[in-house]
Amino acid sequence: MFHDVDSGPAPSPLKRADWMALLARAPMHMLEHALGAQAEAEVNWLRAPEIGLLMVQGRAGGTGERFNLGEVTITRCALRLAGIAQADAAVGVAYVLGRSRRHARLAALADALLQAPENQPALDARLLAPVRRHLATQRAQRHARAQGTKVEFFTVARESGNGNDDEADA
Amino acid sequence: MNTMDLSTLGAGFSDESRGSQAVFRAALQALSHPGRPIEVVHDAEVPRQGHAASAAVLLALLDADSRLWVSPALAAGDAPAWLRFHTGCAIVDDPREAQFAWIAQGPAELPPLQAFAQGSLSYPDTSTTCVIDVQALDAGAAWTLTGPGIADSTALAPRGLPPDFHAQWHTNHAAFPCGVDVLLASARHLAGLPRTTRIDLSVKA
Repeated sequence: MFHDVDSGPAPSPLKRADWMALLARAPMHMLEHALGAQAEAEVNWLRAPEIGLLMVQGRAGGTGERFNLGEVTITRCALRLAGIAQADAAVGVAYVLGRSRRHARLAALADALLQAPENQPALDARLLAPVRRHLATQRAQRHARAQGTKVEFFTVARESGNGNDDEADA
Repeated sequence: MNTMDLSTLGAGFSDESRGSQAVFRAALQALSHPGRPIEVVHDAEVPRQGHAASAAVLLALLDADSRLWVSPALAAGDAPAWLRFHTGCAIVDDPREAQFAWIAQGPAELPPLQAFAQGSLSYPDTSTTCVIDVQALDAGAAWTLTGPGIADSTALAPRGLPPDFHAQWHTNHAAFPCGVDVLLASARHLAGLPRTTRIDLSVKA
């Protein structure tokens, strides 16, 4: 199932899968900037950040047979915000590419905060919208770069000159 | 992949390697000195159902390649989800396929020991390791234990096992080198019953 999260307007209401997909690819400086002081909020680790390998699977053209593309390094963690009764505290989960524990922590923190509906509008404006724009720009640039190397294959209609040589010989 | 409800789960060991090593040491001690209650010290936020000592020892022993069977009372609670989240183990429905089993306290929770994987003569190590929750390790009818790891004989008085446990254990012991190993767990202590240990109901003077 291919789900395009980069393009298109923000879905309303926000869905957790959508913002988690954004947070997983949000550059760290944007997370730091948007979370501000909340980035240093105290957390209770449900699973402290850990680094591991994940097998990425792909489908040719998005629809073909599944195949193993290769392994990537990821960092994952799960946390609860401290200072809230455990029953009420949402669990923030993050899986990010790379080996930055801080990156995973910030993404999980944002996920936990976004699960409280009262935080959503502010965080959407401060964090998700810029990330969405950033990813769209990145995608457009990559697309443009790829376009520069594109080879158009087309068939030139053959001018009829001295008649159909091949067939005449045969 | 199934989504798991994480909202009720507690954290594992605060320091994963040291925490699990300390608990592993306790399990090792318990199995090398059968019948001696060993205290399990840990800081994991264990599930509500089942004893803390058994939860901690399973948290330390299980990994993504292990198959766990849990008794009905535990299966209904958040214990399977907790262990699956922290260790990645697989939960199986058939005790015969399990490498580890966690049995809650209660009359109908423990299936016959022979229902678990017994191992084969070529691979006796493939039998199930059973962690059985009991009310107490020192408040029941006294057993006299003998066997490897016990200098002369030692006493253990678990309370909360089925009345025919002794008969089952006799069969288990007779099947050596096959048979299951058992860890009896009270709230904070573990006592090991490896398959080599003999239980006598008579108390030696």
